[in-house]
Amino acid sequence: MTMSLFSLSKKVKKLKMHKKQAQQHDQPSKALPSSLQDQINYIKEKTGNSTDVIIRRLQLGDGRGPDTAVVFVEGIADSKAINDFLIESIMNKHPVESKQPIFETLFKEVVALGDVKEITDWDNLYLSLMSGESIILVDGVQKAISASTRGGEQRSVQEPSSQLTVRGPRDGFTESIRTNTALIRRRIQNPDLWLENMKIGSVTKTDVSIMYIKGIAKDEIIEEVRNRLKRIEIDSILESGYIEQLIEDTAFTTFPTLYHTERPDMVAGNLLEGRVAIIVNGTPFVLIAPAVFIQFFQSVEDYYGRADIATALRFLRILIFFISIIAPAAYIAVTTFHQEMIPTQLLVAIAAQRESVPFPALVEALIMEVSFEILREAGVRMPRAVGSAISIVGALVIGQAAVQAGIVSPAMVIIVAITAIANFATPAFAVAISARLIRFGFMFAAATFGFYGIILGVIILAVHLCSLRSFGVPYLTPMAPFIPANLGDTIVRLPLWAQKKRPRLFTDNKENRVGDNQKPQPPKSRGMVNSAIEKGDHDEQN
Amino acid sequence: MEKAKISLYQLFVLILLFELGSAILVPLAIDAKQDAWMSILFGMVGGLFLFWVNYRLFLYYPELVPPEYMQKLLGKIVGTFLAFSYIIFFMYTAARVLRDFGEMLLTFAYLETPLFIVNALLILVIIYAVSKGIEVVARTGELFFVSIYFLAITGFILIVFSGLIDLNNLKPILEEGIFPIARVVFTQSLYVPFGESIVFSMIFPYVTKRKGAKKVGLFAIGLSGINLAITMAINIGVLGVDLTARSQFPLLSTIQSIQVAEFLERLDVFFMISTVICIFFKVSIYFYVALAGTAVLFKIKNPSSLTYPMGMVILFMSVTIASSYAEHLKEGLQFVTHFLHPFFFVVTPLLLLGIAFFKNRKKSIHQ
Amino acid sequence: MNKINRLMCFLVIIGTTLLLSGCWSKTELTDLAIVAAFGIDKNEEGRYVGTLQIINPGNVAGGMQGGGGSQGPPVSVITGTGDSIVELSRMTSRKLSRRLYYAHTNLVIIGEELAKEESISDILDSLERDAEFRSTAIVVIAQGSKASDMVKVLTAIDKIPANKVIKTLKFTERTWGENISVNMQEAIQTLVSPGKELVVSGFRVSGDVNKGKKTVNMQQTEPSSSLYAGGLAIFKKGKLTQWIDGEAARGSVFLLDKINASAIAVKWEGKDEAIVYELIRQKTKISAKMEKGKPHVFIKVQAEGNIGETRVPTDLTNPHVLLKIEKEVEKEIKKEITIAVKQAQKNKADIFGIGDTLHRTNPKEWKKMSNKWNDVYFPEVTTDIVVDAFIRRTGLRNNPHQVNK
Repeated sequence: MTMSLFSLSKKVKKLKMHKKQAQQHDQPSKALPSSLQDQINYIKEKTGNSTDVIIRRLQLGDGRGPDTAVVFVEGIADSKAINDFLIESIMNKHPVESKQPIFETLFKEVVALGDVKEITDWDNLYLSLMSGESIILVDGVQKAISASTRGGEQRSVQEPSSQLTVRGPRDGFTESIRTNTALIRRRIQNPDLWLENMKIGSVTKTDVSIMYIKGIAKDEIIEEVRNRLKRIEIDSILESGYIEQLIEDTAFTTFPTLYHTERPDMVAGNLLEGRVAIIVNGTPFVLIAPAVFIQFFQSVEDYYGRADIATALRFLRILIFFISIIAPAAYIAVTTFHQEMIPTQLLVAIAAQRESVPFPALVEALIMEVSFEILREAGVRMPRAVGSAISIVGALVIGQAAVQAGIVSPAMVIIVAITAIANFATPAFAVAISARLIRFGFMFAAATFGFYGIILGVIILAVHLCSLRSFGVPYLTPMAPFIPANLGDTIVRLPLWAQKKRPRLFTDNKENRVGDNQKPQPPKSRGMVNSAIEKGDHDEQN
Repeated sequence: MEKAKISLYQLFVLILLFELGSAILVPLAIDAKQDAWMSILFGMVGGLFLFWVNYRLFLYYPELVPPEYMQKLLGKIVGTFLAFSYIIFFMYTAARVLRDFGEMLLTFAYLETPLFIVNALLILVIIYAVSKGIEVVARTGELFFVSIYFLAITGFILIVFSGLIDLNNLKPILEEGIFPIARVVFTQSLYVPFGESIVFSMIFPYVTKRKGAKKVGLFAIGLSGINLAITMAINIGVLGVDLTARSQFPLLSTIQSIQVAEFLERLDVFFMISTVICIFFKVSIYFYVALAGTAVLFKIKNPSSLTYPMGMVILFMSVTIASSYAEHLKEGLQFVTHFLHPFFFVVTPLLLLGIAFFKNRKKSIHQ
Repeated sequence: MNKINRLMCFLVIIGTTLLLSGCWSKTELTDLAIVAAFGIDKNEEGRYVGTLQIINPGNVAGGMQGGGGSQGPPVSVITGTGDSIVELSRMTSRKLSRRLYYAHTNLVIIGEELAKEESISDILDSLERDAEFRSTAIVVIAQGSKASDMVKVLTAIDKIPANKVIKTLKFTERTWGENISVNMQEAIQTLVSPGKELVVSGFRVSGDVNKGKKTVNMQQTEPSSSLYAGGLAIFKKGKLTQWIDGEAARGSVFLLDKINASAIAVKWEGKDEAIVYELIRQKTKISAKMEKGKPHVFIKVQAEGNIGETRVPTDLTNPHVLLKIEKEVEKEIKKEITIAVKQAQKNKADIFGIGDTLHRTNPKEWKKMSNKWNDVYFPEVTTDIVVDAFIRRTGLRNNPHQVNK
């Protein structure tokens, strides 16, 4: 890993900004100078005397030992830990008592913290420093100690604001990578849950972790994820979306080929299916790869609730997706091309409504759809206090007033409302927003060619979806390619005892997930057999 | 040859969609009158045999596609010429199917739209799909297969429930004896759609489990034959022989007669939807096979660069092959089924199989 | 790069075709004149006169916009003249601000005179050929009037008169059984069949048509002019030859196996029409065979029903009495069927499709007869009629209240 970082930093030097900096401070990239003053000066120079970089000079022991300094960045380091376990123990330690060299003593006896590393070069020193660790410098020693004191103010674990559920755990990821990995580990208490770390972003040096379950996740996919992450050359990673855009299989698509979630239980569930999680520091959104289309219509709650109800809900969600894409287009097609489709009475009713509307159906639909999109966009960005005002104005715009003004027909209002609600009901925002965009394409297709346009659009959409891959896995798995064994968890959700196999394309693991005979059954004595009542039978007679 | 893998199920879906393609639109084998369904079934039996012939040829050269083994069997020049004529023939057929489709759409829904535009739109979508490769086409097929069958079964149930089928229309069976049926089999239903399965010899090498290909192929052709026979029987049952024969698109007329529960009527659009999908696959497969054949024959490294020019050729051919729909049908029934189909679907594969048999027998003797 | 170029190329082509295409087949709803009914007559000069009933959406849908009150008529009527159906239809565009839209035309009314003069096949061809026109449109004959008069009369309950006609036919077919609704497709199927002749329901106009045209007609409890179902029109070679009514009509509908329900009154204890039998369902089977070179037909009717009314004291709790009533019902049905058959044979028009039945069972003989079927063979057909009637229930009461007197 360090190798890659070096190669990274070399390449990055090609960047102009960095070049200038390199010219200004001609620092030796590797070795630390031996003098403590030099070391401190270098750090000060490099950080531009930033006020949050605290350099605390101390003397080891009670004034008899060599000069030392503790360097840390205020705010991202846990100052309590530094005070209690570093500064205090350094000051109280008698170096004379120890027979070892000073540095070894510090390393082994003084620093009372868990994760302690030895640092010999500047690059690593800055990496550690900037990630919240404390650096201990000793005069006359060309090495430094970094102690893990990461901390500082962080958002606590809260209920995620997206992907709410009625039933299910209430914790959500935070911005801290460590908290996030911990949340996952708490769910899968198994040494096979492996974690790999890397830093991405030549300027931001963001911590990025890959998490997977060894033995369940497919090695090729892990390798692919690793390689794609290593390939990234970018100055900054501010959110997992950055990573997503750089490692997805196809750039030109409106559909997400990686899943993101705020829910640890969701990540755990996916890891158990053989997927790989990519956790990025600074964001509560964890990426999951590979992602398949049907996944975006599933909610964690499906697994917690009853299977039959979950199945019904999933059907509903697929229906919702189609409605949110096709409803306005179908309205346009029906009213401008295929008037024969609807029953005469309804046609007459719609025609009566349209009599007073001066625009063609497409324009009518566009007016309504665009104004709805405007309202929605306004609603998202507005402070909550203004939100209610927007909904009042919105109800006026898309509603009775628009109809009475003769701009749109009441039927169109219904269509827009259904489309909008359908769009909100799609469980994954990434797919919902994609449907929002595609909808307009379908509207134009319908306005020019009616249902022929729509069906051609559907074919293009299907071909497009079929051509997508997520980390080599076809996007529409397991419907196309059709894998009957894995159909148990797609649109239908079979009971847990019936889902024995893991998804075939993500994992080579052929073990059953559940044991045999897990189907719950009533005690054998019941039924038509007239025999003595057995255990487990809580009848009144007992 | 692209690097593609096709599962048996995908092969099955492709064959089925391909066979149903345009055949479900037209009054298939209606010259046999109320026994049309029977001649379809007999045609299917012949189709099974032709499929077996092609499969045997494939078994002799499991790594090669037809243009390659044609060259091997018939010599470089003759083989190349034959392969080339196949490619032209496939493109011509693709154009014919596209024309069928365009005419259908223009006749019943888009009267004022020029044929060129309707065909152009579909061919653009097909170009897009074919340029993505056979794997994507196959997967798309899997996706639509279920919905097509769902529509078909729904339609069937609706027809049954609206009490439209009068089985008396199918009687008397064998009014004129077996001869007219046999004539229809050997002039029509054997070739369209069953003989057309020859295109899959180009796709066999992609199939992952080759051993199952025969079973799956035969099953798919059998099922499609049964489906077509049922469809035609329903058409005749609902419309009667005379109306079916006079209908350009009997299935459309059948669906138009559905009236259930006051609102389940006027279902033409669903007919159109399923037709567009079926035709899409039929043309795509013909097109793909012509494309792959060209790529192999002329050793073109990047076949997808050919999609646009070849697609355009098919498009222009589809618009120019006939000046009216009647002429188009006449060409189809007189020229194509009497000369081209027997040659390309029956004579050549049998000849090739014969040669392959003797050549390979000699080989084994020498060894 | 190549890939992006190709994508762009694709998008550009799609985009331009979409833009250039300019939506040929597109029609906005506000540009359509929805034709509800199509009436065809012939004028003195021998040209076709088409009368189109066009729905006026604003006045039908009611409420929402403008708000009720004094509205105009729900339909307006437009007339065109021409030597062919297409010509007259296109010619109306001179009088109309919108495009005629036939996809919702559910009713075709043919004038009686026209139907008598020439074969209706000539008219139906253009309608069948047209992509918009639905083959499920119901065909009726204007009995005793011109088709144009029928199209013009406004009706009260169903605002669109065409719907009124269609629904009337549908319900009277279900509850009384002297009429049948025949759609265009069935009509054409029958017209082309050599072994079956067409039978279509007639419709009549009562009262003054000129008053019926006004909205006032809709605002009366008893309209000045209204539409009602008439008899059955028998066709021969596409031409109207005869009207049948009453028992003959119901007998024919029995034979066509189209009766759903009806009420049959039978004589009981010397009193005419003393017991009314409510038919719930029936099934008629016709089979034909050749006997000594002549066609012979078996007609088997199975009827099921309840007692609907008794006007003489009868012990309905006694199954034997019910059996006797059943016998009477059978007799009555048989009588009606016999009348129908006689009538048809007199007209030399095989409206029951006996020829088709024969075609199925005896294709070879049929071939010889098919040319002269209606004129020579059909009138000589001998029949065997077997009726099985069942009385299942007697309603909420068992014995009539007269019985205890």
